[in-house]
Amino acid sequence: MGFLENRFDDNVVVEKLDKLLSWARSTSPWFFQFGTACCAIEMMAAAASRHDLMRIGIIPRSSPRQADVMIVAGTVTMKMALRVKKLYEQMADPKYVVAMGSCATSGGPYWQHGYHVLKGVDLVIPVDVYVPGCPPRPEALIEGLLKLQEQILEGRPLTRKTG
Amino acid sequence: MSEDLQALIDEAVKKALAGDDDAINGIEDRVTRSKAKAALVKAKRAQSKAVDENSDSEPSEEQPATENSENIILKIAKILEGKFSGCIDGEVHSDFIQLKPENWFEIAKFLKEDPDTYFDSLQCNTGFDLGDGMLESRYNLHSMKHLHSIEIRIKVNIDNPDIPSVESIWRVADWFERETYDMFGINFTGHRDLRRILLPEDWDGWPLRKDYEEQETYHGIVVPKVKEGWE
Repeated sequence: MGFLENRFDDNVVVEKLDKLLSWARSTSPWFFQFGTACCAIEMMAAAASRHDLMRIGIIPRSSPRQADVMIVAGTVTMKMALRVKKLYEQMADPKYVVAMGSCATSGGPYWQHGYHVLKGVDLVIPVDVYVPGCPPRPEALIEGLLKLQEQILEGRPLTRKTG
Repeated sequence: MSEDLQALIDEAVKKALAGDDDAINGIEDRVTRSKAKAALVKAKRAQSKAVDENSDSEPSEEQPATENSENIILKIAKILEGKFSGCIDGEVHSDFIQLKPENWFEIAKFLKEDPDTYFDSLQCNTGFDLGDGMLESRYNLHSMKHLHSIEIRIKVNIDNPDIPSVESIWRVADWFERETYDMFGINFTGHRDLRRILLPEDWDGWPLRKDYEEQETYHGIVVPKVKEGWE
């Protein structure tokens, strides 16, 4: 940090506010429990003591208003798609979406014949990370969330985008 | 073993089976007494086996011994034909009863309340698209009292799919009929709350009919119809 570095006492870190914000966001992406099918079991396993998502700062929340990340875990039916959209709109910015499992990414086994299934949750809300698998193991979900953390860390919320 | 002793044991076992345990315990000789006890166990086992075999062939004590599940259906078809003449659609089958929709409500009430049939439990109601413009509603009835069960089938035309509702007779039919209505569009007349149960209220069409076409969009959500290359 150029001329500001080493000018203060110990234990004082100097960093750009922009980077600090994205670092803070990336280390505490609280997720909204949104289990719609069997993927929810793996999501629960990932959050429970064996895989322990809390060690990387990820805590399940039951309300969309307290959450930063929405993990869409499972099949989304047409009836549910409208609710998914509504819940996504209720989340406060900044917000991110992880599509977990085949159903949420593309419709999965219901791709051809599921008349009632939404063919991928990205038809309704923007998705940041896709986690494949049917259902994905907790390790896969954690991998996806680590990717999301990297993505958040690269973001510069205060920098004006040009061009 | 002498014949006297054998006769003694037989006598004691007979008494014990009738409920008098003292007959065996009263035998003084230890060896004979234990032999009598062994004979009693054997006799009891043979007896319980005989009871099992009997209960297999007769569903309950109130039915005649010759009755089996097949001719219960024929018997009930006969009762229905006698009480509501002309209610049976087509010929009589031995594994289900094909009824006309007209007086199904009265028949259902009779089947539930008559002491001989007493179908107190509607176990399932489901729909069928038979093709050729015919829909069918099937009911699986079971009697908790007589432990017998039958299947009722009712055929209707797809252009006028009206079947009387039995929701006020068996309360469980409420959601069963709503599901059949949801998937096949069978109109259960007299149902107090006939709405879709699984699909959204504004859904278009009846998904389990053979001629169902998926809708193009639902609330602005495009339904992609890419079917090539997916065998």
